[in-house]
Amino acid sequence: MRKKSVSYAKYGYIFSIPFVVAFLVFSLYPIVYTLVIGFTDLRGLGVKEYHFLRTAEGNLDLFGNFRTVLNNKTFTTSLKNTIILWTANFIPQISMALLLTAWFTDRNFKVKGQGAYKILIYMPNIITAATIAILFNSLFGYPKGPVNDLLMKLKCIDGPRNFSLQRWTARGVVSFIQFWMWYGNTMIVLIAGVLGINPSLFEAAEIDGATPTQIFFRITLPLLRTILLYVLVTSMIGGLQMFDIPKLFLNGGPDQATITSSMFIHEQAFSGSYLYNRASAASIIVFGIIIVLSIILFQILKDKDEVARRKYLRAQRKAARRRVNS
Amino acid sequence: MNARHGSIRAKRITYKTIVYVVCTFLALLSIFPFWIMFMNATRSTYEIQQSSISLVPSKYFMSNWKILTGKAFSPMTGFINSMTVSVGVTVLAVYFSSLTAYALMAYSWKLRQAFFSFIMAIMMIPAQLSSIGFYQFIYRIGMTNKFTPLIVPAIASPAMVFFMRQYLMAALPLEIVDSARIDGSREFATFNRIILPIMKPALATQAIFSFVGSWNNLFIPLILLTNKKKYTMPIMVSLLRGDIYKTEYGSVYLGLSLTVLPLFVIYFMLAKYIIAGVALGALKE
Amino acid sequence: MAKRVRTITLVLLVAILGVSLFAGGQAEAAKKVINVWSFTDEVPKMIERYKELHPEFDYEIKTTIIATTDGAYQPALDQALIGGGADAPDIYAAEAAFVLKYTQGDAKQYAATYKDLGIDVDRLLKEADIAQYTVDIGSNERGLVALGYQATGGAFIYRRSIAKDVWGTDDPQVIKTKIGPGLDKFFEAAEALKRKGYAIVSGDGDLWHAVENSSDKGWVVDGKLYLDPKREAFIDHSKRLMDNGYHNDTQDWTDAWFADMKGANPKQAFGFFGPAWLINYVMAGNSGGTKIGEGTYGDWAVCEPPIGFFWGGTWVLANRDTKVKDAVAELIEWITLDSSETGLQYFWANGTLFGAGGTKDSVASGTVMSKSDGSLDFLGGQDMFEAFVPAGAFATGKNLTQYDETINSTWRAQVREYTAGNKTRAQAIADFKRMVFETLDLPGN
Repeated sequence: MRKKSVSYAKYGYIFSIPFVVAFLVFSLYPIVYTLVIGFTDLRGLGVKEYHFLRTAEGNLDLFGNFRTVLNNKTFTTSLKNTIILWTANFIPQISMALLLTAWFTDRNFKVKGQGAYKILIYMPNIITAATIAILFNSLFGYPKGPVNDLLMKLKCIDGPRNFSLQRWTARGVVSFIQFWMWYGNTMIVLIAGVLGINPSLFEAAEIDGATPTQIFFRITLPLLRTILLYVLVTSMIGGLQMFDIPKLFLNGGPDQATITSSMFIHEQAFSGSYLYNRASAASIIVFGIIIVLSIILFQILKDKDEVARRKYLRAQRKAARRRVNS
Repeated sequence: MNARHGSIRAKRITYKTIVYVVCTFLALLSIFPFWIMFMNATRSTYEIQQSSISLVPSKYFMSNWKILTGKAFSPMTGFINSMTVSVGVTVLAVYFSSLTAYALMAYSWKLRQAFFSFIMAIMMIPAQLSSIGFYQFIYRIGMTNKFTPLIVPAIASPAMVFFMRQYLMAALPLEIVDSARIDGSREFATFNRIILPIMKPALATQAIFSFVGSWNNLFIPLILLTNKKKYTMPIMVSLLRGDIYKTEYGSVYLGLSLTVLPLFVIYFMLAKYIIAGVALGALKE
Repeated sequence: MAKRVRTITLVLLVAILGVSLFAGGQAEAAKKVINVWSFTDEVPKMIERYKELHPEFDYEIKTTIIATTDGAYQPALDQALIGGGADAPDIYAAEAAFVLKYTQGDAKQYAATYKDLGIDVDRLLKEADIAQYTVDIGSNERGLVALGYQATGGAFIYRRSIAKDVWGTDDPQVIKTKIGPGLDKFFEAAEALKRKGYAIVSGDGDLWHAVENSSDKGWVVDGKLYLDPKREAFIDHSKRLMDNGYHNDTQDWTDAWFADMKGANPKQAFGFFGPAWLINYVMAGNSGGTKIGEGTYGDWAVCEPPIGFFWGGTWVLANRDTKVKDAVAELIEWITLDSSETGLQYFWANGTLFGAGGTKDSVASGTVMSKSDGSLDFLGGQDMFEAFVPAGAFATGKNLTQYDETINSTWRAQVREYTAGNKTRAQAIADFKRMVFETLDLPGN
């Protein structure tokens, strides 16, 4: 019988060291730098000196950049677009991913060739955004292009349409591309989640005579909650940072209909005036929005398991202490 | 009785038909861009400019290949460099994210919740701008043209830690850890020998995402790797695009096709873990 | 035991990874090195060629090529210039779209003047008869810091068969009086062409390149957005082209635009505005043939444009802090100012840099072009320099700014909104000004 004090807490710290060190070495400086310049007058190429903002009278005026950005109509437009584009691609994305997950994990009906389907459905995520953007640009070409040709052949329109000038078509296409590039990814995450569920739960349900639909909604979905939280939070973060496709597809057009907040940040910093301070302030605002939305998501999908786990660990710690004391 | 049976069967047939039709349609939709890309790899620049989408191949594969290798594109160097970076990133990210997630899930320590919140916060910082700070920093410490700044930061991959944590939360009963302790397994060994195998589907999923992301990563390598010998495949493709006035599109598509092939291989290798699934239950029985 | 083996393997793996990462920094031989940064292999190849032609030029050339298409060339170059040190560029190239930043804009302080390098600028400029616009772009208050080798003055490139059908002749001397000078004549020609069922240009972008670079002032004057009357008038020209059906409503660099070079659209387009590179790298390949009589190959001619302009071009700069000044000067002089028959530009104009039969291109030096042969089969045997020498003199380089890429695309997008009927003229201009202000912090006038 070993007589050792069994407090395992130190392993929590030890196992976190690599993460913390790598973060401190490579990411801390860039992040702090980004956060700080949002409050300064840093703009222009190669400028190294910067000062915190002051009013004309010399008082500190730390939030000057934030005021400017919030009053910037392009910024508010970009926020609005980002939310529209994210919603329009996320709802179909998660629905389709859930549907496919249900199909591919159905224990009564093994979809033949599902291995191949899973692989193929993820494939749009492998191609670079640039390639996809070019492809869709050509598809919607004007005055000649496959979509125009097809619609004209089907007599839906009598002359070629310049789709790149239609706000909602442009938004629709951007959302579709995002949906199409990511639903396979989401599906794989969800399937991995289902595979982590203890099969005996399904077996028990089957013995009780549950239908596949019931099993999916009563067992699979509730147990997928932790993974769903991950999907929601990361895709919200990814969605609010959407950049490649709207940038490469129509460069934010037409008339700023597809400009996103990340594009706005990028343009402030890199399109000629090097307004690093404003770009940073806009980043911080977006960061704030993401945090608020994440907290809401965490509240809704309340970490029930986390609460249970905390209780378990606490009980364990107490038990360990008792063992040491006795 | 029979009628009801028949209607159930009819329903099942309709259900199966819908499943296969939808899946096949989605699969075709997925193949489409690859098909266009491979076809364009065999077409001349001018054919592509005249009509950028074609479903049938042309005869310029060899001439595109000559243009490709005549320029800065050396597939072997690019492949080895890309492999080094992507394998490095994937191994480090997957292993250390699992370890960090395990620290968050299996132990009770004072800063646990705070550390998790901290990881979540890092994950939410918009990537756009911190990239400037990042490469300024790398230039300043003279780490350009080295793979280190591209690989090692992967040890801290917040999103992946988050995923592993969520996965462990559903899939890891702490009793397993306890029974391992009773068997005398040390903590680090428990993680390596018991926990990692349980996480196989999660590891495979995240390995694929991480590998694909790193393999296709262009912007940071483009700025940090300026020495020809260090170019990754996407950098070489980007060089083919050179300037807009005389881009050789045929060879660009050939380069893109070559870049994507290794991804297929890796993906097929890892996909079996997702498809077959090493479910937790199997381990318990 | 198994545990220990596993641990050892892991440690070994990490060690190997670490070693391979940090290796590769071995000391370089003491050979003198010139760092060359560019966005294509054009300039590096010239320098390699120079080394072949001059074996006594004993420097190692280290080239860094980063494409502009992904937006990484400038950030990387900026960091390398700011960072300095042994890896800093000695020679770097800049493209028309962003050269101003390096000659007169935020990064001008890194450029050496050609005089400081020891180049006899004044004499050579006169001798070579360099097109004034390239000098204007390459100069700042300290003097000349950048020059090009290629001339990108634009001409009007038109279809001979269409000219004959409409005016009974394809003679460039006559056609240039039909389409110009000035845009009023141009629109008269458009009307004449329309009556015969032709479009004068493919899209409004073709006209834009000409208008943009023939305006008197650039987008920014005294730190404020300035809408030059000529550029403002473009919105009306564009509308006129659209409403009267004078063009095929294509956008440059899209399928339909390329199709007009082959004559593949139902309504044939008469011509394109462009410099010699447009003929060489874009139009010739897209003409649908490689010999006279195939496709539109050989059916083209060039004449002076109704308004003078230039489009594109590469400028060559030297780092102020270069440690190999003389060698850099030697290379730059050979590339940009040497008008002899052994200078780069003579090879370039005659297509003989890498042996006979290469692509002929117009060059910055008028002297070189006047003694070179610019006849092309694509132009039915016409000597293109006839049109491009005056075109170079006609162009102005005083209207560029470092903001051009962003402002141009904003302006053209708003013009498109107006011509498509989505907005009023006043609204389009107001939105344009607001967007520029919000993106670049440049107040309107």
